[in-house]
This record gives sequence, C-alpha cells and structure tokens, in this order.
Amino acid sequence: MTDTRTETSLQAGLKKSTFQLFLATGAWVGSTALMSFGPSAIWGFDVAVTFLAIAVNLTVGSFMLYSFFKHLKNMDELQRQTHLEAMALTLGITMVLTVIYGALPQAKVLASTQPANVLFVIGISYILSVIALWLWRTSE
Amino acid sequence: MKNRLKALRADRDWTQAELADRLHVTRQTINAIEKGKYDPSLPLVFKIAALFGLPIEEIFSPDTD
Repeated sequence: MTDTRTETSLQAGLKKSTFQLFLATGAWVGSTALMSFGPSAIWGFDVAVTFLAIAVNLTVGSFMLYSFFKHLKNMDELQRQTHLEAMALTLGITMVLTVIYGALPQAKVLASTQPANVLFVIGISYILSVIALWLWRTSE
Repeated sequence: MKNRLKALRADRDWTQAELADRLHVTRQTINAIEKGKYDPSLPLVFKIAALFGLPIEEIFSPDTD
C-alpha cells in the first residue's frame, strides 16, 4: 500500500491522462483517415507510401492503447471496476450483435454488411454500459 | 459483503468526502461501499481498517445468504 495520492492529485492525474488519451485518439483518427483516403486523394495508390501510412497508423494505435491503459491505472478503483465491467459487457453485446448482423445478408435482409459498423456497436455499447454501471453504483 | 463504514464514519463526524480524502479515493467510492453496491479491493480494506484502528472483521462481514 504505497498509494499516497490525495484526491486532488488523483483528479489531477486523471485529468492529465484524459488529455493524453484525447490527443492519442485524435492522432489515431487522423492517421486512420490518412491511411483510408490518402491512397486515392494524395499519393495515387503508391503501395510503398500506403505501407508507410499503415505503419504510422499501427504506431499511433499502439500509443493510443498505451494511453488508455495509463488512463485506466490513474482511475479510482470504483471507476476502474466500472470501466472493466463495461468492457466485458461490450465484448458480449458486440459478439451477439455481430453474429446477427453477419447473418442478415444470408437471410436476404441486407444486401451487404460493413465491418466498420461493428465499431459503432462497440462505441455505443461501451458508453451506455459505463453510464448505466456508474449510475447504478453511485446513485444516492 | 456487509460493512459498518457509515456508522464508523458517523461516529467520527466525517462526511463521505472527508473519508474519501483520507483514503485517497473518490466520494462515489465511499458511497458505493456504504450502500453495499461495491466491494472494495483488499488494499483499500486494509487502509480502512488502519484508518479506523479496527480489525477488518469488525468493519466487514460476509453476506450470510
């Protein structure tokens, strides 16, 4: 038990890691856009440049992951528990909904599926899970 | 897990925020523990016991059901 942080420093640490995560996520979104639209809009499908853009995206993505872990470690233990449970819920929800979504073209309900739509399911499930779990645990 | 945190805190006239400050956690964590909606980690349990100067089993007890 070497944790000597006060609540003020706890909040300061969280604020700092939130800002780092914000920057890392912004950089990742930017590098993803470059990787996706760069080949057609900027460098005319040059494969070498595309591989470079992929390498940049992987590097920035790794930094985003590192920033997220750092952010998680800076949290108070109830906040951390809430986020970990939200991640577990998100994994389950995404798995179930992705299987259903994948079956829709076969059932002729949809013409095709877009893998990127799974990201929306992940994002929405995670946000709603965090809010619901936090409200349930902290309601007065 | 049941606990006597609220009673012990009241004995000392501490608010949830004051107790949270002494334990280096958020006020919401104290509230969730007192309401039995969150079981604290072992390090936090030791901190609570040390703060109140009581053995852990005099503060926390397992649910019987």
